Amino acid sequence: MVGLSLGEQCFIEGGIAQDLRCDGRRRLTYRPIHVETGVIPQANGSARVRIGATEVIVSVKAELGKPSLMQPDKGNVSIYIDCSSTAEPAFEGRGADWLSADLSNALQRCLLGAKSGAGAGIDRSSLVVIEGKICWDLYIDGLVISSDGNLLDALGAAIKAALSNTGIPKVQIAAGASSDEQPEVDVSDEEFMQFDTSGVPVIITLTKIGKHYIVDATPEEESQMSSAVSISINRQGHVCGVTKRGGVGIDPTVILQMVSAAKHVSEQLINKLDSEIASAEAEDES
Amino acid sequence: MRQIRAEIGAVSKADGSAIFEMGNTKVIAAVYGPREVQNRSQQMSDQTLVRCEYSMANFSTGDRMRKPKGGDRRSTEISLVIRQTVEACILTHLMPRSQIDIYVQVLQADGGTRSACINAATLAFADAGIPMRDLVTSCSVGYLHSTPLLDLNYVEHSAGGPDVTVGILPKLDKVTLLQMDSKLPIDILENVMQLSTEGCKAIANYIREILLENAKQLEYRRGV
Repeated sequence: MVGLSLGEQCFIEGGIAQDLRCDGRRRLTYRPIHVETGVIPQANGSARVRIGATEVIVSVKAELGKPSLMQPDKGNVSIYIDCSSTAEPAFEGRGADWLSADLSNALQRCLLGAKSGAGAGIDRSSLVVIEGKICWDLYIDGLVISSDGNLLDALGAAIKAALSNTGIPKVQIAAGASSDEQPEVDVSDEEFMQFDTSGVPVIITLTKIGKHYIVDATPEEESQMSSAVSISINRQGHVCGVTKRGGVGIDPTVILQMVSAAKHVSEQLINKLDSEIASAEAEDES
Repeated sequence: MRQIRAEIGAVSKADGSAIFEMGNTKVIAAVYGPREVQNRSQQMSDQTLVRCEYSMANFSTGDRMRKPKGGDRRSTEISLVIRQTVEACILTHLMPRSQIDIYVQVLQADGGTRSACINAATLAFADAGIPMRDLVTSCSVGYLHSTPLLDLNYVEHSAGGPDVTVGILPKLDKVTLLQMDSKLPIDILENVMQLSTEGCKAIANYIREILLENAKQLEYRRGV
């Protein structure tokens, strides 16, 4: 997608080897991040995140549904990403289907944990209303408006921000319903329960170019990558999911180094995100 | 008419882009072009090829909807409508053998999406520096309880009265788009058209102000 001359390619690789990227950043520095919450009034929660020129909007909608038979004490969460054609002419029609599917799957892996529900970043048991009968279904929809590299990190940050903005309505259960009838529930319009996001991880993508790896790659840098590893880490420093992309193999010790570098970067990123989200919410309320 | 708000240059990667809000309806438009034609068989030797794609985000309406991106008929129809409206005002003969793509994405839908899309497209074209005869502005008018209503929202739209969408070239005073559904007596039609023309001219004034403001900003940044 990005056409680079041989001179430009050498320049990028050489610069990264000397810890100086084309826009003056160091290898492990992010571009400026802006967060706005509450951008979609009809959704339960929403956020718009801009990292450099990459812009994404995420909305969270909650609807009442039935929990799955295998996990009756947990609610359902589904993540779906769409790449708008405004981001890239190549995304027109079905052009972005593979990228949308790739991003959706990577996010599901990082945030929702294993099939049995263990180790999920998002706490699904807080979504249950009546065990085995009624639970909240959370639909997390992401839209990529402008694509300038590092979509996965932006989407991860936006999902975290949207979830902290999400209010799940309080539910009154009608008393006296028998155990096999469908109970009546009364969804409150006034009272909301804030979703707990302290355990939600952020995603850090490390792109390997030459012998070094960088964080937050631009499209030019991404076109030069040999491989990329996306690691999702939560506040406690636990790794919640790993995705490797790219055809070139990486030595296992290098991967462990990348994971520890990601842990180091994640502390700063989580702090930055939390302060941005807090100021966005404060602005939203004022 | 509902409160309108516009912003130029939302998508920095595109040649021109704009966000247009009419009340709760929010639309983003991005223009890529003029550039080389992707599909040689569609190339025209005397004018530019204009292509348009309209899509709605999953979260744009009240109930979350899952629909195929390019496939459904309403999207195709609106894409066609926007393309024809906009093609009428671009000086296509100045850019032969090239292609201009306009992509419109609806972020929030509350009635009048067609009009918001056309207004956003006009701003995006102006931002991209594509030569045009005049701005195209559009608004919708309805008729409920014997009153013509300007700029319907979703609730008024579903009330069942007629819905007339008009697109005009304000300086040249020409109509480029006229669509109506339901029934309307002919003598009322003139009133309704008059109201919509005034509405479109008001939008055009606002768009001109925004463009002037944008030009001043660019001047300032260039150090003039």
